[in-house]
Amino acid sequence: MVVEVERFFGVYMLYCTNPKHKGRIYIGFTVNPQRRICQHNAGRRGGGAKRTSGRGPWEMVLIIHGFPTDIAALRFEWAWQHPHVSRRLSHVARRARKESGLHFHWRVVSSMLRVAPWSRLPLTVRWLRQEYWLDFEPGLQPPLHIPLTFGCVRAKKNQQQEGTEREESQVDQCLLCGEIVEASDRLSCFHPSCKMVSHLICLAKHFLKSEPSHLLPVEGVCPGCHNSVLWGNLIRHRNGCYGDLEEITSRSPQSHWADELQS
Amino acid sequence: MVIGNECIWNLNLFLILTVVCKKKNRAPLEPITPMPGFSDMDTPELKTRLNRYGVRPLPKKQMVLKLKEIHQYTHQLMSSESEEEADPLQPALLTFKKPTSPPTASPKKLQFGDDEQDTLPQSQDSNTSSTAESDRSNPELCRSDDDDSDSDSITASQAATRERDQLAATRSFILSDPLLYRQVLQYQPLSLASLKAALRTAGIRLGTAKLLDFLDSQCITFTTAKPGHAAPLRRRARARAPEHAGGRGRKRLAKPAE
Repeated sequence: MVVEVERFFGVYMLYCTNPKHKGRIYIGFTVNPQRRICQHNAGRRGGGAKRTSGRGPWEMVLIIHGFPTDIAALRFEWAWQHPHVSRRLSHVARRARKESGLHFHWRVVSSMLRVAPWSRLPLTVRWLRQEYWLDFEPGLQPPLHIPLTFGCVRAKKNQQQEGTEREESQVDQCLLCGEIVEASDRLSCFHPSCKMVSHLICLAKHFLKSEPSHLLPVEGVCPGCHNSVLWGNLIRHRNGCYGDLEEITSRSPQSHWADELQS
Repeated sequence: MVIGNECIWNLNLFLILTVVCKKKNRAPLEPITPMPGFSDMDTPELKTRLNRYGVRPLPKKQMVLKLKEIHQYTHQLMSSESEEEADPLQPALLTFKKPTSPPTASPKKLQFGDDEQDTLPQSQDSNTSSTAESDRSNPELCRSDDDDSDSDSITASQAATRERDQLAATRSFILSDPLLYRQVLQYQPLSLASLKAALRTAGIRLGTAKLLDFLDSQCITFTTAKPGHAAPLRRRARARAPEHAGGRGRKRLAKPAE
């Protein structure tokens, strides 16, 4: 099954299948995985990176996506490429002598998902090629809100325009504080049957009650429908990127990634 | 820098040795900079690294040995009681660049670590994994144009208390500014320059490094791009553009989207 995602920012790992360079790894950033892998395999002239040019074929085996901005994704890319330079990854051990590139970069990325500034982002770990799939090492499980999934993903153009003027005529009250909600400050639940509307800040504070030291919520229980919702999905919904949320609503966001493995 | 042959390298080595020897009489010494994993590096990278010292390509084993030798000579040793953070970014090659400068002046110059974000020469590649594109600048660094360090003499515990207060104040500041906090809640990158200016106006004095640590700890995305400028300066201009025409789909270090 192909999942389509709007406002797509991903950081991927390529695996070299060329017998001469087998097992080489390349880490890159993309807004469009399909296009990017074609470019890598087309070589430098076709838009591929210098490092991957002429060494193909490459396979895109793993992608981390859900970054809210390209800036966040690019920083993630840089740290994954330079784990021993990054200030946030000083605890990550160097590649062991018998460790393969694939294992090493998997260990690095697993560690990254567990530390700030990435541990609270609404990310998804996706093995595009299941045959390469590696387990999280013991002690390197990602935070509970980060799902592990398999299969293809496609960037989708978002249809943001519609829906904005609808809200202007509408007067909403914040479910939490009762005050009027302006469009610039409006947050609503993405569950189709839920009518919850609130101020961004009211809901954030509501979600952060359990972790008062933080400024950015990760997830919480919607005060309208009482479903557990990810903050990242609420924001995507707010930004008009909810086309792909229907798939998400069918399962509880709190279900652990391991549940995915059974399905 | 000098290119070409081992003679020049040896000359440089001599100059450095004089520096290192002068410092030798300080008690227990240990390397500030951990040695990069030369043994795990690929041949091309070894070649590039050696080339920086003007050494021609050699068989792989010899290259590794030579690099280790160079590393030993070129990296400052420090006494173990100092608590300065080891910074693997530091190639500590300043003496290479200015072989004429009097050796007595250099120990201070070699001292890195206390204000890491200000003085980094932005050298790349020093420890990169072999997958990395070498010409990306480090997004975790930020040239700070101000000096927030307090020069008044205070004790360590006073400093720690002050830092805690400043962090709490920064937190309250973000919470108390609805526009700013909404930006955070929507994952929109904060402009570091504007944030620093706003904090200063509010009387909150927090050094850039501490501020970055705070934003990171809160998973708040920030950007160092100045408003009105495309991106922070990158060291090497990308003259050969076609490689990236339409490459990854977006400009690389974009400003905040809105």
